[in-house]
Amino acid sequence: MTPDRFKELNSLLLDWEEGTLNEAGVERLREILRTDDESRAHYVRLQMMTAAMSLDGEAGLDDFSADDGVTQAIEDVSPEDVSPKVRVPAGASLSRYGRWMLAAALLVGLLAGRLIQLELADHADKSNEGDEPGSSIVVTDKRDESEEATSRGVALITRLVDVTWPADQRSMEVGDALPPGAFEIAAGYAQIEFFCGATVILEGPAEIDLKSPQLATVHRGTLRAQVPPAARGFSLEVDDLKVVDLGTEFGLSVTDEGANVQVFDGEVELLQPQSTKRLLTAGKGLVRTPDGEYEETVVTPDSFLDIATLESRAQGQHDERYERWRSWSEELRRDPRLITYYAFDQTDGWNRRLTNSLEPANSELDGAIVGADRSPGRWLAKSSLEFKRPGDRVRVQIQGEYGSLTFSCWVKIDSLDRWFNSLFLTDGYNKGEPHWQILDTGQLYFSVRPRERGEEGPVDFKALSPPFWKPSLSGRWLHLATVYNVPRASITHYLNGEVLSEASVPTEKMVEETRIGTASIGNWSVPTQADSRFAIRNLNGSMDEFALFAAALTTDEIKEIYHNGKP
Amino acid sequence: MTGSDKTEHFVQQLATHQNRLYGYVFSLLGDHTRTADVLQETNMVLWRKIDEFQTDKAFLPWAFAIARFQVLAHLRDKKRDRLLLDAELAETVSVETERQAQHLDELREALRPCMRTLSAGNRDLVERRYFRAMSISEIAQEVDRTVSAVKVALLRSRRHLSECIQRRMAAEGDA
Repeated sequence: MTPDRFKELNSLLLDWEEGTLNEAGVERLREILRTDDESRAHYVRLQMMTAAMSLDGEAGLDDFSADDGVTQAIEDVSPEDVSPKVRVPAGASLSRYGRWMLAAALLVGLLAGRLIQLELADHADKSNEGDEPGSSIVVTDKRDESEEATSRGVALITRLVDVTWPADQRSMEVGDALPPGAFEIAAGYAQIEFFCGATVILEGPAEIDLKSPQLATVHRGTLRAQVPPAARGFSLEVDDLKVVDLGTEFGLSVTDEGANVQVFDGEVELLQPQSTKRLLTAGKGLVRTPDGEYEETVVTPDSFLDIATLESRAQGQHDERYERWRSWSEELRRDPRLITYYAFDQTDGWNRRLTNSLEPANSELDGAIVGADRSPGRWLAKSSLEFKRPGDRVRVQIQGEYGSLTFSCWVKIDSLDRWFNSLFLTDGYNKGEPHWQILDTGQLYFSVRPRERGEEGPVDFKALSPPFWKPSLSGRWLHLATVYNVPRASITHYLNGEVLSEASVPTEKMVEETRIGTASIGNWSVPTQADSRFAIRNLNGSMDEFALFAAALTTDEIKEIYHNGKP
Repeated sequence: MTGSDKTEHFVQQLATHQNRLYGYVFSLLGDHTRTADVLQETNMVLWRKIDEFQTDKAFLPWAFAIARFQVLAHLRDKKRDRLLLDAELAETVSVETERQAQHLDELREALRPCMRTLSAGNRDLVERRYFRAMSISEIAQEVDRTVSAVKVALLRSRRHLSECIQRRMAAEGDA
């Protein structure tokens, strides 16, 4: 199918939509669709796009102004705003879409003999005082465009050992996807797995240019490539020389003196314009000088670090980081500002008590583990708790009145399955009690209730960060923190030591005295509404370390927690 | 599972997949009003057949099958009306439609950043035409351009958007 046919389909459909397509045009469109799968696929793509735009239009999602980075604070809850991802503009008349959705809801509700809470049905029980339902509704896609680039990757970073980054490049982390383009390290070792299946260990200083899942250009540096049969054809370019792998393991070192290719296993093809291709087999090495001459060279596998050796070096770094965290954590335990602290470093896997790590110890603050299983933590030497099933949680009881609060935890999120995904939720959500959770839109969400149940008063202020979650973060340890600063009347969210957002709390919604009482980590125990979508808030992921301070920590202090705790 | 659990589960599934069903039916009919009608009929049939609904089986393939049947019935019924596809062709296209309709949410996710890559002028045209359902002649009048100029700009924008969405969705699948 040629692009011309695509163009023709596009144009025929536009006329059809406008009502100006004549009989011959309809026939022509059908004729194209009968020809092949590709034209049908293209047709459906265009139609789905039209349907999607119409749905978004009906849902009021037609504001594309870039509003990244601004904390969203949604105040008033209107019952029709029940979908967390869809905002219905205030006073919107019932549109075509709305009408049939409502019709569907009514039909089903009627037949079922009871009112069923469909998306557009009246969600909040009026007699109930849930303060935090659906208005959470923020246009979903506010992810930073540069962040999005990671999902257009051609390779993944799977290991970093002693890496230092060049001053002009932002540092990257294990698990990051690499988009096409330059990748540079100043020192250390980076293990990169190309999406085609080839693994490359790069020794710094090195500079490469990723072209595609099976091709990269090497400007300088030493690397070892391991290419399983499935990734055969993986190629590296050095100037106009192309090294094509035929299923093997080889080393490549590029310096000012030329390119040195050594084959340790299997064979490699060297291609160069105006030159016959050369085959290099195991145990052979060639140096190509800058003037294009080839010289045979001895094979020196030891000068190209292999995966096993890198693994043991990575283990060394891993142990070192664990030790650093441990000594920092020993210090932290004595911090008088701590309300409670769980380091998750118990070794007795059978114990259903989550011992708090404060010094001096206070067993009153121990948590009760319900359901959640122990699973590996940030380091092999310590565990975490995995929250999976709707019942999984840790129950805690914390007495006392406080002012400012700081929440900090390390989590590994598998996915955000629930509308609200709990980090730490007080049971009743009464006056002065905080709720700390993540919305399914990937936004960190913190609120403190400003009034007693049953009393009139302002609704809570909802501090929402911009969406920070994206599926590529799944399975990675993240540090989340939120600071509730009473004197400054502000709420600040942090991800990995960096500020996500900061919001000022309006005076009438500001609560100066906070309290916890009974609460759950990773779940919500006493929902204020029965609707399961609202009430079920179990986290799908693991938690390793949780700290709550009776103070507003500074940005530097949050950074310090992150740097001492990162795996 | 008790009857009321089953009902709840069914309703939840029906609500969850409304948009995908909408995308599915629309792709085969190419008309929003007809789509709304057929979708409502589909919901009704699904409801009547709740006994056939097995909670341990995937809801969506079952719902798509019933939606397809409703679309085909509609096309045969309205044979004398102006229709985009005939029943036979709709049947052929339905396989691909079902495949793509499953990913409607990802498409909507991709759509937003792609919209931002359009020039402000073109984005405005697309918004008017597709998000706010204005006709091309209305738009032409409002923005003071000729119908054919608006058409050309819309065609180009649609192509751009479609490619952008396809790239993004493919990339999401990769990483």
